[in-house]
Amino acid sequence: MSEPDTRRPFAVTSRYGGERKVVGERMIQLFFGGNAFVAVLILGLIMIFLAREGLGFFQLNRANLEVYRKAGLEFVEPLRLQENQHNQLVRRMFDLRVESARALGRNTELDREAINARLRPLDDFILAFEDAAEPLIHASMNLSDLAAEIKMAAIEWEETEEYRGGLKPDFDYETARESLVAFLGTQERLNEMVAANLRRVVNQGNQLEWANTALARAFAELRNEALAFATDLPGAYHEMSTWDPNEPVPTWKAWSVFLTGSQWLTASFWQDWYGVLPLLTGSLLVSFIALAFAVPLGIGAAVYVNQIATRREQNLIKPAIEFIAAIPSVVLGFFGIIVLGELLRQFSEIGWMSWWPGFPVAERLNALTAGIMLALVAVPTIFTLAEDALQNVPKTYREASLALGATRMQTVWKVILPAAMSGIVSAVLLGFGRVVGETMIVLLCAGNRIAIPDFTRGLEVFTQPVHTMTGIIAQQMGEVVEGGIHYRALFMVGLLLFVLTLTINYLAQRAVRRLRLPTI
Amino acid sequence: MATPAEQFRRQSTAIQRREKVIVFFLRASAWIILLAGATVLGTIAWKGAGTLLQPNFPFINITFLAEAPQTLHVFELDGETVEMSDQDFREFRAKLAEEAAASGESAIVPDSTSYVYAAGGIFPNIVGTLLLVAGSMSIALGLGIATAIYLSEYARQGSTVRFIRLAILNLAGVPSVVFGLFGFGMFVLFFGWNVSLIAGWFTLAFMVLPVVITASEEALRAVPQGFREGALALGATRWQTIRRAVIPHALPGILTSSILGIARVAGETAPIMFTAAFIMRDKLPWEVDRWFDFFFQGVMALPYHIYVVSSKIPQNEYSARVQFGTALVFVLLVAVIASASLFLRHRIRARQRW
Repeated sequence: MSEPDTRRPFAVTSRYGGERKVVGERMIQLFFGGNAFVAVLILGLIMIFLAREGLGFFQLNRANLEVYRKAGLEFVEPLRLQENQHNQLVRRMFDLRVESARALGRNTELDREAINARLRPLDDFILAFEDAAEPLIHASMNLSDLAAEIKMAAIEWEETEEYRGGLKPDFDYETARESLVAFLGTQERLNEMVAANLRRVVNQGNQLEWANTALARAFAELRNEALAFATDLPGAYHEMSTWDPNEPVPTWKAWSVFLTGSQWLTASFWQDWYGVLPLLTGSLLVSFIALAFAVPLGIGAAVYVNQIATRREQNLIKPAIEFIAAIPSVVLGFFGIIVLGELLRQFSEIGWMSWWPGFPVAERLNALTAGIMLALVAVPTIFTLAEDALQNVPKTYREASLALGATRMQTVWKVILPAAMSGIVSAVLLGFGRVVGETMIVLLCAGNRIAIPDFTRGLEVFTQPVHTMTGIIAQQMGEVVEGGIHYRALFMVGLLLFVLTLTINYLAQRAVRRLRLPTI
Repeated sequence: MATPAEQFRRQSTAIQRREKVIVFFLRASAWIILLAGATVLGTIAWKGAGTLLQPNFPFINITFLAEAPQTLHVFELDGETVEMSDQDFREFRAKLAEEAAASGESAIVPDSTSYVYAAGGIFPNIVGTLLLVAGSMSIALGLGIATAIYLSEYARQGSTVRFIRLAILNLAGVPSVVFGLFGFGMFVLFFGWNVSLIAGWFTLAFMVLPVVITASEEALRAVPQGFREGALALGATRWQTIRRAVIPHALPGILTSSILGIARVAGETAPIMFTAAFIMRDKLPWEVDRWFDFFFQGVMALPYHIYVVSSKIPQNEYSARVQFGTALVFVLLVAVIASASLFLRHRIRARQRW
């Protein structure tokens, strides 16, 4: 009896190696497939990890806002706002005093002592204005301390082992808040008193003498604001008396505070805010400046190299710009902080440049410094891709246009550029993507002040220091606690950045498809 | 009065004049870019040369390239300003104390001003950067090229593969700081590797992986289909075809892209800031007690050093010296890598003909 034929009837066999070889082929394919699987898995995991760490932020932020409400920090906020307004009024009065002293020094031949003597009534006025709001400020500070204490106590309570084990009841906010809410009883009387005091002081101010009419006018304006402030005092009472500590914080609030919050404040004794708006506007402002430089330069250079330049110029310019792309960003940032920042400051201090808004610059490192250096990052990307796009325009277009008698520039303007528009738009978008994601340059050169740039000041906004999304991650990542709200907030910024660059990439690809020429 | 010759002279029309102005602006934009690049590199080269070069033999400042960063002490001695590195200064002080003890007097130690990082060199930084590049590129190239081969040669070209390809292409545009964030959260904290070489390797490798995959696949797909068909028709197996008929032709393209990847990995700062880089470390990477400690140690790196000396320490003439010197060495390193890749690509383009 013969052995049954175990070979599969149609198995591929060969004289050298037979089935072993087929198995070997399979193993090789498996190896490559496994590698591809691992790579794709890793790249997918990156996204999942980012999303997991980032989205956890909202739960924590909601808890954060809940404590803010329950501990009464929100309750005290209107008072703190008033304290702040009063402080600002006082500061502006001091500014006026400084200016008066300067005006007196310029116009008269008085020495310092005499000027001080002349300004004594003003000093007294400012002092009286400060003192008039004393009870209000006192109350605001006391209540702030109280609320902060409640918050600390609540956090400590919730961190104890017993509470986590379910052995201790929830923190009793109600009792803790009692002394805080009790303030409402005395507030109306306090408001009346402070308002009367303020009015009295402000009305006395009309006897002051001023060095010139401009100062007098500025002071009159200030007085009106002070009177309005006094009239508005009961507004805070209204707000505080209708405040409900037990109103639940909705989930969308945690999102909206992050997405539209205008404050990014960490490690403060009062309340941490994670609002991405200052960072987002900073990133966009810096990118806008960079593109304002890079788009005309990059596209202009691409048109020149592709349409006009001689072979020799082409062979010089193209590799040179590709070489610029290879300069590491930290080197550009270093150049910006050490050389360009100083150069820009000196340049802006030249007398005849002062017509330019924002010159002379207040800060050496600002959005403009970072924007110029970022332009150098964006230019190679825009140039290379735009040049490719121009190269891809069929030769016949150009020849047909020239044959019809169009000049070289007419051909470029009316035929070649429209034909290459899809590639150019996508080049600009990809340049934007590179600039938005750039970290070291903005971290070093942008000035890192976390505030929404003051757009009311017109073009001056370009010379203000800003902070960016990439910058904040690089700056604060080293100082966070794993899994904490700050850690997750930074991941959320990273996630936002991720989504933003993906969107830009997607738009760039769409632009290529949408604006593509019909094939002939 | 016009001479007859002038009547036939070409008159420039308004259109031609406008044309000239436009061409002038286009040309200017090209040269402004080059000028800006040259200014940056020129400044760094000019000022960095003061640190890197020296007027007498061997003309290159060996100390700067071969020593670790040290604190610089500057003090007045006999009416002259003396600069000493921390190590020298300590020996000098010990010698003074010895002499004083011998003569029975109390030692007079000169008051010195100290400047951090301004003395010594950047040897550990160079080593650290090279280690980071070598490790991360090994991971990225191994994984990336294998993935590219699978995607372009083995996988069925369906919608799944198209989607994966698109996802990878898009990931190549994600900012490096996001990868840094991921590396920090995943490797440093979640895996507990702390700030270490291995965490930096994986972070950088994953950052550059999409670039390597995309570029390698492009090189593979540029090989004409006929090559594969010819080999298969001759009875070669799939793997034989790939090894003998595809990879040799795609290899130059793959190499070029991988060298560009090296330049990118060497130049990035954000991903290593909180995964692998130390501001200061006394020991060199190979001075470890147990062999596996090698992977779990932080290193000093050139880009991070530039960041630290240009923003974290007070600025003065002594810090400027180390700043520009480090920047020049770093730029030279990246330039060598980048120009190697440009040269290689040029050679390949000239040789490729099918």
